[in-house]
This record gives sequence, structure tokens and C-alpha cells, in this order.
Amino acid sequence: MLKCTFCGRRAAYNRRYAGVLLCDRCLIKSVEKRFRRAIAEHKLLLPGERVAVAVSGGKDSVAAMHLLVEYCRLKNCELVTITIDEGIKGYRDQSIGVARDNAKSLGIEHFVVSFKRIFGATLDQMARRARARKTELNPCTYCGVMRRSLLNQAARELEADKLVTAHNLDDEVQAIMLNYVRADFSRLHRLGPAYSPREGFVPRIKPLREIPEKEVALYALLRGLEVHLAVCPYVGGIHTEIRDFLNLLEANHPNSKFMILRMFDRLKPQLARIVPEFEMRRCKSCGEPTSAIICKSCELLKGLGLRRLRKTLISPKSS
Amino acid sequence: MTHIKVTVKHVGKKHKREFRLGPHATIADLLKELGHNRETIVVRRNGKIVVEEECLADGDLIEILPIVTGG
Repeated sequence: MLKCTFCGRRAAYNRRYAGVLLCDRCLIKSVEKRFRRAIAEHKLLLPGERVAVAVSGGKDSVAAMHLLVEYCRLKNCELVTITIDEGIKGYRDQSIGVARDNAKSLGIEHFVVSFKRIFGATLDQMARRARARKTELNPCTYCGVMRRSLLNQAARELEADKLVTAHNLDDEVQAIMLNYVRADFSRLHRLGPAYSPREGFVPRIKPLREIPEKEVALYALLRGLEVHLAVCPYVGGIHTEIRDFLNLLEANHPNSKFMILRMFDRLKPQLARIVPEFEMRRCKSCGEPTSAIICKSCELLKGLGLRRLRKTLISPKSS
Repeated sequence: MTHIKVTVKHVGKKHKREFRLGPHATIADLLKELGHNRETIVVRRNGKIVVEEECLADGDLIEILPIVTGG
């Protein structure tokens, strides 16, 4: 039996990038400490703020919700949860129940916003339409753009000061690499612990950004949290290839993910000089903030022969 | 004892498989044989989450839980 470097109990995790073994209790304490440190270091939350957290029901968002509850209690912040139901049969329908149960057990208000209600089609239906129209766009494109837009709008309607997303170290490093591969300076520049653009956007924060995916999973499992661990049926393509490459790199060379993150964080201030400023407008179709005449969500909907059905997301029925 | 026998179960799947390994084999050795990257899974040994460097013992039940769900 291998023992925890700090307390001598049975080890549950080998933190190879730091050369230490952690037992269940020390791993939980360490994750909580890193979460609090990220908030303090980057001033992600201020006392008394109203905080919306995006919760899918997966391990990361459920862990974030539980970590935030304790933090918000101490800092007198108010917490609400938002779940986007993209309409993925056999996947999202199961995770929504997990999100709802967690919110209920913690006594947090929970709002569900569905693609079907707002856009008139589920993601499954959009994927079928995209295939029929040979658009060459994969479902992750529709899901990512529309989910982000709905989350921002829902958080704004709920008068949240901050929107928390549960992106972990792996998510962030994958996004960095993906934007390198695509030479997308604009998206690369938006990455970081906090993204505070302009009017119409609720500042997005990522307090799990420096916690590896495996440690977030262990935190949820060791605390016995109810989480949904199924794999999204649309997973694939370049995202998966980058994820697998990074996991192989980390397995063979521990600390690689942190090094990529640190390198990016040091380079980021220089990116501001090469990313052009853009004028913020209102989408002519839905009124949401955008740099173009119509926003990306409306543009994608139009390409599928769809249009937005509702301008307002949060109704009394949503919670 | 020349070899040990362990049972492997992938969480979420019904079937179990038995494996014969050398007497000093670790969980990491087993994962390598199964083609799993340690970054993407959590291992339970006889119901307890443990580190991959633990040595296996005859009769162990090893549960493999995939944790990478997105991307």
C-alpha cells in the first residue's frame, strides 16, 4: 500500500507533476485550496456578488457548484444555476436530472434553457438538418456557439455579476492548442481565467482552470457527489485528437499541461497588440451583442433554415 | 506463486474479464496491457480508489472508470 506524502493514509492519487502522493482527504483539501486561490489571485469574485454557474450535470460543473456553494456562503454571494438543454437524446436528458438533483440538494435556484424552446429545434435535429444540407459543420460548432450565447443571455437576464464555467486545466490547454493549430488569434486572446468583454456580456470566470481534469473527477468521486459520466455522442474530430495527444504527452512527460498553460499566460499580454479591436453592435436578428451585423448563432440558424423563436429566455417555467 | 489472476470491469459495461499477470505486476502494468492512458481513467481496486503504482494481488477486482467525457 502506498501512503499519502502529507498524512500517511492510503494514497488515492499520484500527482506526478508535483512528485507527491495524496490520500482522499488531502486531495479534496488541495482541490478546494486551488479553487479558492484561483478566485483570490485573479479576483474572480467579489463579496456580495450574484453568481450564475453553468451546470450540465457532468463531473466538472457539479464539482464547481459544490465548491461555489461553500465559497459563496463565506463571501455572502448569491448563487443560481443554469443548464442548457441542447437536446441530445440519451445524453443531455440524463444529465439534466443530475444537475437538478444537485441544485435541489444544495438549495440553489436552477434554470433550464432549451434549444428546442428558443430555436425551435434540438441539437439532434440541427445535426440532421446540417447533414441533409451538406453544410460541413459538425454538431459541436452549433452546440458551442449557441450554448455560449444562451448562457450569457440567461446570466444577464438573471442579473448575475459573473458567469462561472467549469473549464478545467485540460479544457483550457486543449483550447489553447486548438487555437494554435487554427492560428485563431482572436479566440486565443479570449482565453484566460476571466473574460470581461463589453456591454451585453456577463464576465465569464473559470475557477477550475488550474485543476487537472483527473483531479476534478477524483474530487467529485471521493466526495460522493452525484455526477453524470457518459460521453457526448457527438465527440470526435480535431478536438478529440488534440485531447488524446495532450493526454499522451502528459502521461509520458508529467507537467506538460501546466507548462503549456504557463507559457500561454505569459504570452497572452502580447496577443493584445496583434488582435484587432472590434466594434460591439447588437445583432439585427436577436439583439444579442456581436461584432457583426448578425450574431454567429443567428447566422448558423439561418444556414439550417431555422430562426430564433423567443427573445427572452428566463420565464417562471424555466426554474 | 508464479502468476496472479485479476478481474477487470469497465464501469458502465456489463461484462468482466480475467487477466493473468506476473507476480509483481502493478495496476499501471495492467493499464498498459489494456491500452488505457492513466490521465483518462480512475481505478478502483476492490472498491477503493487507489494509485496506479500499487501492486496487484491474486483475486483483485479492478474497476476502470473513464472520466473524460467531453472534447
